[in-house]
Amino acid sequence: MRNLMNNARGSSTLPLFLALGAFVLLALVPHFVTSTYALHIMILVFISVITGSAWNILGGYTGQYSVGHAAYFGAGAYTTMILLQYRHVAPWYGIWAGVFVAVVVGLVIGSICFRLRGPYFVLASIAVAEIFRVCALNLTKLTNGAEGILLTQVPPLQIGNTVITDFMSKVPFYYTGLVTALAVIVVTWLVQNSKLGYYFQAIREDQDAAHSLGINLTLYKNAALSLSAIFTSLAGSLYGVYVGFIDPGTVLALDLSVQIVMVCIIGGIGTILGPAVGAIILVPFSEALRSNAIAQALIDSGLVKETSAVGAFLKEQLSHAHLLIYGILLVVVILYMPEGILGFIKKLSARVRKGAA
Amino acid sequence: MAILEIKDVSKFFGGLAANLDVSFEVNQGMIMGLIGPNGAGKTTLFNCITGFYPPSRGEIVFDGRRMNGLHPDAVCKLGMARTWQKVRPLAKMSVVDNVMVGALCRTNSLKKARDMANEQLIVVHLENRALFRAGSLPIGERKKLEVARVLATQPKLLLLDEVMGGLNPAESDEIIQLILDIKKLGITQMVIEHDMKAIMRISDRIVVLNSGEKLTEGTPQEVVSNKAVIDAYLGESNA
Repeated sequence: MRNLMNNARGSSTLPLFLALGAFVLLALVPHFVTSTYALHIMILVFISVITGSAWNILGGYTGQYSVGHAAYFGAGAYTTMILLQYRHVAPWYGIWAGVFVAVVVGLVIGSICFRLRGPYFVLASIAVAEIFRVCALNLTKLTNGAEGILLTQVPPLQIGNTVITDFMSKVPFYYTGLVTALAVIVVTWLVQNSKLGYYFQAIREDQDAAHSLGINLTLYKNAALSLSAIFTSLAGSLYGVYVGFIDPGTVLALDLSVQIVMVCIIGGIGTILGPAVGAIILVPFSEALRSNAIAQALIDSGLVKETSAVGAFLKEQLSHAHLLIYGILLVVVILYMPEGILGFIKKLSARVRKGAA
Repeated sequence: MAILEIKDVSKFFGGLAANLDVSFEVNQGMIMGLIGPNGAGKTTLFNCITGFYPPSRGEIVFDGRRMNGLHPDAVCKLGMARTWQKVRPLAKMSVVDNVMVGALCRTNSLKKARDMANEQLIVVHLENRALFRAGSLPIGERKKLEVARVLATQPKLLLLDEVMGGLNPAESDEIIQLILDIKKLGITQMVIEHDMKAIMRISDRIVVLNSGEKLTEGTPQEVVSNKAVIDAYLGESNA
């Protein structure tokens, strides 16, 4: 009986194997796909997977809904970029400095905001992240203010005299993103199957009960936040070096914080693969809307004539409406799939299995 | 030997004295009943003892150690665990996982914690519910789950806050039996209860609180025959 219970318990390795399988397939992609645009989208997806999964450790497992994760993204991006552009520190050292700064920022934010619970914590996390954005905007000596930091050159990565990569194409960024994305998913799985994961979830379910069962709330909330900040910061650094330009309006914006949370809500909060699913759906979708690919596809497929009033309207206006459509999508998911797409699929498969039995 | 000493403990909320100079001792291995009308300050006293409120005045000594100012998690690690008047299951986690959270207070190994949790589930007769979601249990089983979860923290002193509240007579009887079983394990218990029959049956001694102050203390027989208790607690029918 005990054996049966141990096996039936939630320590499922399925998500891990799915992630590994996807990793192997995606690792082969650059050998076949030469379109830089496709690689570009994939890199953005990876960055979103990293930030989403990182948020998920704090928001999904520990139940602390931070809407200020741009602070850690920005901390990583700014630290790496400042060191690289003004101090000529190579990014593969700079990112660790970024991680350090993000964790320090996280502990400062945590010590203030974790005194609050529920919606008060959400509001405080937004407020503190906004403080960092305004600081970055005004500390012009350090951050170059609203002009942002434009990267002029990335030194080639070499071991001894062998050049591994010169960062001239998108491929090195593709692999960096892919490996980091796998790393954060593996870390999430390890957390879920450890004492840490049990304590995080206990805090999510009931803070007072958790406290009375010997869980040091401050310690474990800050542990979750630090883990989350580490990976968010890595994503920020990767974004900065990849795009080559950062300013407070992109890497420290409230928009970015909201986007991180939305990826998780749509994919499925508190599941290992939820944020990855959310990112894979949301990022290409918003890109297609923004670049007007959807309107073009409708016209190309012959469903809508370009010359007709509808066609002209779509071609002219759909890309401007991407935020509106984004919003509608979010409302639909919250109304009909409150546990995200992954939760919806799980429920559906459970119903099918029940029907078959 | 006293495992818990409450010395002149007071707790003020603004000008309101929820507890005023309450003093008593709980001896090793006994079941101490804590009764009193609604608003008498029973739960406040529990919160002071377990570190959820710092007492405004007075001293709480557990196992020879001064407890004032300790946080609830530290209190739990020192061997004092409490349940809640309103049950607090970790709803989305399974029953065995709930108990494991308690057991993880004493071990870092999930495997060990799972074994400990399964043992406690057998003690409270919930072993066939191990894989159910805690949120799906009916109230009677939720109360037992609370007890299993705190037992898993391996307490020396257990504080039970109305574990029989909201239960039917059959379920109450099971909990009474459970409390007596726990006594046999050598664990000291302090029990808040409104069910007079039950508290008279299980308690070795009873403390009566009224309006935040200790009214009297004694064996169940002494307490029920005390005029002040009858007036304050059992109320108008005797007036």
